[in-house]
Amino acid sequence: MMFNQMKKRFVERACRRAAAGVGTVVAALGVAVAGLAMTATAQAKEWTKVRVALTGAYEPWNFTLPNGKLDGFEPELLADLCARIKIECEMGTQDFNGMIPALQIGKFDVLMDSLSITPERQKAIAFSRPYATTPVAFVSADPNVLPKAPEGEPTVYLTGEAEHDKPVIDMLRERLKGKTIGMQSGVSYHSFVDQHLSDVVKVRDYKTAAEHTLDLVAGRIDVAFDAVTYWSSALGRPQNKGLGYAGQIIRGPIWGPGEALGFRKSDDDLRRKFDEAIEAALADGTLSRLSEKWFKVDITPRAE
Amino acid sequence: MAQAGIVEMLGFGPQGWGQVLLLAAMVTFLLTLAAMAAGAVFGIAIAAAKSSAHRGLRALGEAYTTVFRGIPELLVIYLFYFGGSSLLTSVGRLFGGEGFIGMPPFIVGALAVGLISGAYQAEVYRAAALAVVPGEIEAARAIGMSRSQVWRRVLAPQVLRFALPGLGNVWQLSIKDSALVSVTGLAELMRTSQKAAGSTNEYFLFYIAAAVLYLVMTTFTGRAFSRLEAHTGRSLRRAAR
Repeated sequence: MMFNQMKKRFVERACRRAAAGVGTVVAALGVAVAGLAMTATAQAKEWTKVRVALTGAYEPWNFTLPNGKLDGFEPELLADLCARIKIECEMGTQDFNGMIPALQIGKFDVLMDSLSITPERQKAIAFSRPYATTPVAFVSADPNVLPKAPEGEPTVYLTGEAEHDKPVIDMLRERLKGKTIGMQSGVSYHSFVDQHLSDVVKVRDYKTAAEHTLDLVAGRIDVAFDAVTYWSSALGRPQNKGLGYAGQIIRGPIWGPGEALGFRKSDDDLRRKFDEAIEAALADGTLSRLSEKWFKVDITPRAE
Repeated sequence: MAQAGIVEMLGFGPQGWGQVLLLAAMVTFLLTLAAMAAGAVFGIAIAAAKSSAHRGLRALGEAYTTVFRGIPELLVIYLFYFGGSSLLTSVGRLFGGEGFIGMPPFIVGALAVGLISGAYQAEVYRAAALAVVPGEIEAARAIGMSRSQVWRRVLAPQVLRFALPGLGNVWQLSIKDSALVSVTGLAELMRTSQKAAGSTNEYFLFYIAAAVLYLVMTTFTGRAFSRLEAHTGRSLRRAAR
């Protein structure tokens, strides 16, 4: 008992001494951190320089080369937009999950990562006008399952308005009658098939895009329906060389508002500048050219 | 990019991510080392507080270990990095500064993982201190050692020895916690393998490569801890354990 008490006192005293030392170290560390932080960038509001966040890990939208450089559709587009606004743009990478908080606290001023405009996100951040609306396409081993796309018109524009889209949908219903369509379950464009085709075709759902493509190669389904951003890389793989687009690629507002830049809601001035630059890049064909280069297909929305 | 073969992609050529991945593994290692050091500081302080005679200090130590062992590591990192940065920014505004004041991700990551590791280390040190046989201290005092001598010659070496196996465990936990720092954008192993995977569409390849690198790190450091244990226990080979 006595030993124990004595030891306890001893340990306490030794610990207290250690704790005092520790306190000093922690305080010094704190000062050092604060000092470091204070020397970090403090930026004025006249927008000479903006910091843009990408994940750097979403090929071909934006990705990192082994030497650390960023490349892809979005970095090239950004360089063009920033030259138009005459603003210096600095790209930085950020994990997708930390992206909106990083914008909110001001680590970045713009988000550019194939960010779809959704009502939930619109509650937290502001969006520019879209610079991409990912088209969706039928792919088949039989190129004649749908009428060949006319020369120079690989895509068809659907608005989502019944009257405008009717001719295309009627054609699809007629040609796909009795066929089996494979697609991913849960994707936003599933409702297109549900709404317009499900009474004349057989729909088979898959968990991933890779699975419907395997079944397409194996001949278990006639066509698969998925986003061209998926197809552009999938069709390049040697095991899928027998596959190709069937008919025209479908693009336009029917697939939702599209992908846009994200801004803080308070930075309306900055957002407007980028809106104008995107509009100009759409109008003079820069956006379409970049899209063709990276996606092998035009995924840009129409200029207004 | 997809044309490059596996060997090329993991290699050290211009298409290869080998060097980048090794560098990232080094960052993970250093981050864990810094976190363990910070954690040792917090851990000793908290162990001291928890075995203190003072009720307030004991409660403080108890609260610390309860909080940092009880909330998700990811939350601590978010809180420190994003919370800390927005706090700093608003403090900066108070002093007339404008714009964002960032926290350096390495230091924040090391501190956040260190705080968590500190909570676990505190328990390890406390248990180790309790494992020292009280008679030894009594004997040391009896032959006339001063308090600091007892601390230096009797208590500290034994606490270190008793704490080592537990610290080896905490070290492994901290290596894995360091992966969560990837949310701040620091180019450690997790974040870098995500980048490589997303940039080449070779998810399986790069995640396996990262897993192997993590395993190499935990295996080798685990061995280092075993050797340290053998080394510190070398004079006790004949003692019954």
